[in-house]
Amino acid sequence: MTPAPIIPVDAQPMRTLTLSMAVMCYLATLALGALMLVEAAVSQWTSGIASEITVQVRPLSTRDTDHEVNEALRILSTTKGVSSVRKLDSTAAGELLKPWLGEIRMFDELPLPVLIAAAVDQHEPPDLAALQKRLAEKVEGASLDTHLRWQSQLVRTAATLHRLSIAILALIALSATGLVVFATRSVLDANRHVIEVLHLVGAKDSFIARAVKGRFLKSAFFAGLVGTVGGILTFALMGAFGAPVGDARLAEASTNLLIAPPTVALATYLVFFLVPVCATFLSLVTAHLAIMRQLRGT
Amino acid sequence: MVRFENVGLRYGHGPEILRDITFSLERGSFRFLTGPSGAGKSSLLRLLFLKLKPTRGFIHLFDRDIACLRHADLPALRRRIGVVFQDFKLLDHLSAYDNVALPLRAAGLRPDVYRSNVRELLEWVGLEGQADMFPPVLSGGEKQRLAIARAVVAKPELLLADEPTGNVDPALATRLLHLFQELNRFGTTVLIATHDPHLIATTKFPVLALEKGRLN
Repeated sequence: MTPAPIIPVDAQPMRTLTLSMAVMCYLATLALGALMLVEAAVSQWTSGIASEITVQVRPLSTRDTDHEVNEALRILSTTKGVSSVRKLDSTAAGELLKPWLGEIRMFDELPLPVLIAAAVDQHEPPDLAALQKRLAEKVEGASLDTHLRWQSQLVRTAATLHRLSIAILALIALSATGLVVFATRSVLDANRHVIEVLHLVGAKDSFIARAVKGRFLKSAFFAGLVGTVGGILTFALMGAFGAPVGDARLAEASTNLLIAPPTVALATYLVFFLVPVCATFLSLVTAHLAIMRQLRGT
Repeated sequence: MVRFENVGLRYGHGPEILRDITFSLERGSFRFLTGPSGAGKSSLLRLLFLKLKPTRGFIHLFDRDIACLRHADLPALRRRIGVVFQDFKLLDHLSAYDNVALPLRAAGLRPDVYRSNVRELLEWVGLEGQADMFPPVLSGGEKQRLAIARAVVAKPELLLADEPTGNVDPALATRLLHLFQELNRFGTTVLIATHDPHLIATTKFPVLALEKGRLN
């Protein structure tokens, strides 16, 4: 015959704690997922930006633009570390300007700068300072855009979002700690007569703490699992139904987070399932400290 | 085993409930503690089972000065004391069996070690058929016997009972008294608080009489 639990199983504060902890774990899973989405997106954008440079040749009335463009193409092609060079024609330039200027038919009449996109070998990048100097010397009206400004801005934004996510996770952990302390006190208050009897029959505080913590272990782990599975389902729903109503890229990123590629998905699940583990650990440690502190005062 | 010297007790800033209490209990002795309601019997027992500390005087329990006890010292001493409370203090969510086993569980014993002891004790108090029943469905007398079984299951050196026959008929009261006497024969020191003169009259054990917080 297994001994019955010393703390009644239907203690009301435990049900409230389980529900609140499930919500906390759900929010923590969302915050972690958002953090991973931001990191994946930034890494994708940064590598895209870093692998390409752009040379802009402004048309000048004093020079032959085609000659200047050809010279720029020659310089780029002969630069070590530049793997390919591509001149954007006026249609492509028009496409780039469309979001700002709209659908107009005067692109050919406008003195638009000619854009040359050059792919960079990331393992052996070109000497950009030397390239800039050569272009300035040989090509009138040329300017080199290395996208460094965008890259650093992206890194700054990513760092801010990273810190924000960490702060949200810290706040969630703090709130969860507060909840556990509150629930511990409520459980001890609700079972004051049980604690009194246990003390009178010679139970040590550690014995009572174990009996109470046993309930927290089950509640926190169950709540953690429910919250985490809820969070994963949210990302899955964003992946499945995000495209028609929102940004298709967010939906795609959400799907990628969970199902492809396999190594990324596995890492994601491992990180997600740290949530119930951390919630259980946090609950146990907090409950133990709160119980021992309260029992010492009785 | 127990020695009180000029012990006084007051709750908060109220009047003294117990005044200049001096007495001792020898190992293996049997005493009654009597007095009218409000004389301080329950307060004296609370001092004995370390629920309260005196506001003045000295109490020596098992050769320890209780004023010097730390919170961590209490469980070991309380395990040497069995208490039958006037209101039983049974746990309603535990079966009769689990209530009796509670002191042994608290002492860290495994169920397979104490199972037969608990069954035997339930049989001794005549509750073998009620082992799986819960306190709310037991009668006053059954609860009383259950409380006694819990108090003695860990073989305490000192047994304190607060009005243990208050809720039972005279026949059961006599039977319970015999249970206490039997325990006493096995070496347990017994102190029974009661205001039942018939119970005291059935034995020749010494009496500590409390009146208005003083021992006569």
